[in-house]
Amino acid sequence: MMSEVLILVLSFVILLAIGVPVAWSIGISSVLTILASIDSLAAFTTIAQRMATGLDSFSLLAIPLFILAGQIMNQGGIAKRLIDFAKALMGALPGGLIYVNVLAAMLFGAISGSAVAATSAIGGILGPPMEKEGYSKEFGAAVNITSSTTGLIIPPSNVLIVYSLASGGVSIASLFLAGYLPGILMGLALMLVAAIWIKKKKYPAGKRSSLRHIFVTFLDALPSLLLLVVVIGGIVSGIFTATEASGIAVLYTLVLSFINKELKISSLHRVFLGSVGTTAIVMLLIATSMSMSWVMSYENIPQAVSTALLGLSDNVFVILLIINLLLLFVGIFMDMTPAVLIFTPIFLPVVVALGVDPVHFGIIMIMNLCVGLCTPPVGSVLFIGVSVAKTSIQKVIKPLLPLYLAMAIVLLLVTFVPQISLWLPGLFE
Amino acid sequence: MKQKLDKLLGGFLVILLASMVLAVLWQIFSRYILNSPNSYTEEVSRFLFIWIGILGAAYASGQQDHLAIDILHHKLDELKRRRLKIGINVLIISFSLVVLVIGGGNLVYVNYELGQFSAALNLPLSFVYLVVPLSGILVIGYKVNEIINSKKYLV
Repeated sequence: MMSEVLILVLSFVILLAIGVPVAWSIGISSVLTILASIDSLAAFTTIAQRMATGLDSFSLLAIPLFILAGQIMNQGGIAKRLIDFAKALMGALPGGLIYVNVLAAMLFGAISGSAVAATSAIGGILGPPMEKEGYSKEFGAAVNITSSTTGLIIPPSNVLIVYSLASGGVSIASLFLAGYLPGILMGLALMLVAAIWIKKKKYPAGKRSSLRHIFVTFLDALPSLLLLVVVIGGIVSGIFTATEASGIAVLYTLVLSFINKELKISSLHRVFLGSVGTTAIVMLLIATSMSMSWVMSYENIPQAVSTALLGLSDNVFVILLIINLLLLFVGIFMDMTPAVLIFTPIFLPVVVALGVDPVHFGIIMIMNLCVGLCTPPVGSVLFIGVSVAKTSIQKVIKPLLPLYLAMAIVLLLVTFVPQISLWLPGLFE
Repeated sequence: MKQKLDKLLGGFLVILLASMVLAVLWQIFSRYILNSPNSYTEEVSRFLFIWIGILGAAYASGQQDHLAIDILHHKLDELKRRRLKIGINVLIISFSLVVLVIGGGNLVYVNYELGQFSAALNLPLSFVYLVVPLSGILVIGYKVNEIINSKKYLV
């Protein structure tokens, strides 16, 4: 088995390093590994089959539908409304736009579930006013990048759906509920770092909003916020499955955008095509990751890792700490979706044996991999955030450092205080 | 030629996605409004999803949308970079040929020979899996085209 592990890891690292797209790298190294154990036609057929059947899951369908709903909302000016509402609430504070950014990212993520969409939509809208008021472009970008990951933890979250699949069916409703407090905690931690920075740089205060203005912007944002109630309420109360809720989200956003006259029939094709493009990238990652996950279990790799980890310690805190460090490292080189699909079957049995709740572990894993989205060389959110703000990765790294630290501290808190994740789902049981 | 294929493939995928949305909505409608849940909408939407996922892979390769780590690329001069990208395309072509076309083709053949049908719709599974070799051929087409016109696509 040792030689198979070596083939898998080495080929994967080399393929990634020379710049083969991640999804194909995963597929190619899976084939190379399984070729060492079974004959070639069987190997090719099995990998092809694992890729196709890996996508054969009704709960995965929620992903393209939530992506589509997010794209429709982007057309419908939803980001702008949420930002206006956040601005009315927090714009008066010194450096208020920074807090507005974090709050808007949490609200937007709560509705669209996509960190990349949040980064580009919010960064695009808040960038110019921040520059006009003399904010540091780099710090603004750094806050935008890190805060948009809160949307992956606050439901609906596509990556939690992926985790539910990888874990063999942990309840999506429980995962969604578990995400709220950790996501909000992350947002608050980022605001705290921002507050220290703002105080040091003496940023100007904005205009105070009248109560009336707050109310008007709230009414404007209300239909979008109501979607949240319908989708999450429906899932949590058990009325809809996550997939059905995502279908409702598409219908709701379509109707809303038509009523607001912000979407024309003629631009529907473009919106759908955009969603197809985004979906396709994620789907190939899921398909090849499912084949790699199968290859690993065929080669008994999860058992080997489990034995090795439990040989180091049987203290749950030590094991969680080691797994966190490993995942942080993985997250630097690997996108979130494949990382969840490949590493959940490896680590989950270990921590469950030590008494960790699978729902809690899901939140730890997602939160951990969020850090990787904001680090070079593959952090997709980092790239989008930097390009929206028209700056460079080298320049945002320095303001990013304290924000990374805040993320790491929240990650540790969430790891070692299970109640932060489990209290809310516990209330609904 | 490429533009035509992009448009055709993109248009087809949009139709698949729209059908999937309708299938899911119809499922909700029949379950909550008509009170007569059916088993076929779930199967239809799952099969549409497999097609979108696998065929989408070909579409995304055509758009060069798949994420990669490109640190090395920035360190090379133009000629070496182009050679490296040709090498990467050869790897993708090989994978598509052996796994998607040959492996996927065999998968279709085996399911056809065994006469496997889906549970609700009684659809031959070989038809569902047909998307795998089809997508493989399209990926190969896109990547060969990029190699031939490497000065345009692989810079």
